[in-house]
Amino acid sequence: MSGQTPRPRGALEREVLACLAAATQPLTAGEVLADLDGGLAYTTVMTTLTRLQAKGVLTRRLSGRAYVYAVAGDPDQVEASLAAHRMRRVLDEGGDRAGVLARFVADLSPEDEQLLAGLLAAGPDDEPRT
Amino acid sequence: MFLPAAVSAGLWLTAAPVARRLPPATAVRLLTLAALLTALSSGAVLAAAAFLVLARLPAVAVAGRWSPATFAALDPVPVVAGVGAGVVVLVLLASAVRRVASAGRDLAVAARTCRRLGPGAGGLVVVDDPAPDAYALPGLGGRVVVSTAMLRALPPAERRALLAHEAAHLRHHHHLHVQLAELAAAANPPLRPLAAAVHAAVERWADEAAAAELQDRALVARALARAGLARARAARAAQVPESHPARDAVDSAVAERTRALLAPRPAGRRGLAAAVVALMLVPVVSAAVTAGATEHRVDVAQAAWARQH
Repeated sequence: MSGQTPRPRGALEREVLACLAAATQPLTAGEVLADLDGGLAYTTVMTTLTRLQAKGVLTRRLSGRAYVYAVAGDPDQVEASLAAHRMRRVLDEGGDRAGVLARFVADLSPEDEQLLAGLLAAGPDDEPRT
Repeated sequence: MFLPAAVSAGLWLTAAPVARRLPPATAVRLLTLAALLTALSSGAVLAAAAFLVLARLPAVAVAGRWSPATFAALDPVPVVAGVGAGVVVLVLLASAVRRVASAGRDLAVAARTCRRLGPGAGGLVVVDDPAPDAYALPGLGGRVVVSTAMLRALPPAERRALLAHEAAHLRHHHHLHVQLAELAAAANPPLRPLAAAVHAAVERWADEAAAAELQDRALVARALARAGLARARAARAAQVPESHPARDAVDSAVAERTRALLAPRPAGRRGLAAAVVALMLVPVVSAAVTAGATEHRVDVAQAAWARQH
């Protein structure tokens, strides 16, 4: 579909983390590669996984003949979640504070909801994995 | 002296349609600059009017070593107008100072949160949360925060679109543009729609950046639609009342952003950009002329004072 353009710095790390955080079980490097969008070499994904594991973002264990990777559920994660919640609460309170926090999408009007649902129904059917 | 007000009104009327027609990156830069220049020029013109009345006070005249009679004689600003201008300038200045303080506080909170969030992976922090949410937070290079629910609501390619969108916000320092436009609006309330247009245009800018990176506009549109619907469904399931009215004003733009992505990429529109540039120069020139005229009067009044003493 795409993947011809080189990714900006850090983009691949973000995508790999997002992929493993979305997964319900640990994944092998091959599975991560299959999940990521186009144009990547196996070794590139492997390097990124190793780097993220070294940073402590991911954990890995041997499953059969291959390593499987998962997001590290370290104590910092709890702290991070709390900080994120606090931040959201603070920023949601004042309307004029929205300038700091750039949300991907916020709330929809009922008309918008219908329009967007229609758009997705008409588009190619790449439903999320279950 | 009324030109800055006229330009404010012109920008007020045209901000939203102009922002929609220009490429979003151009719109953000031009409108932010226009807002700042107009706010500064209006402030300067109002301050000059107040000064011309203030200069007629004997105590001020002694301190300035000028003749108060000159200011009263030469095409005088009506006292009521001058006093009114002075009051307005002080109120607007206070509002601008308050805005700077609150922006500083918000950015400090954001930076502190970034530190607590840790470095993540390439700046991405995933939080375990059943509510689908994703946002970019400036500070310390910035963080992209995404909840697990949002990641699971999107197929892999659309996840990449979301990440590219949020990374673009941070890479292009969108929060600075928004804050500057907000500052201009605080210092000149008629510019409020301009700040709203800048808000909307940074979202469009990030959408276009993601579309360019992925070379697929429809993909980004689908990601927006799916993420929006996921949030709406989760909000309904949690029985959360339809959220903050102030935010809705900006974010009902989701449908509009989606439509823009399904249309062809916005073209350059040099003529329109040039028109905005020309428009924003009007208040600057008018403020410069006012400043020159005011200075001239001071010179004349000081010469008169020197002849009397």
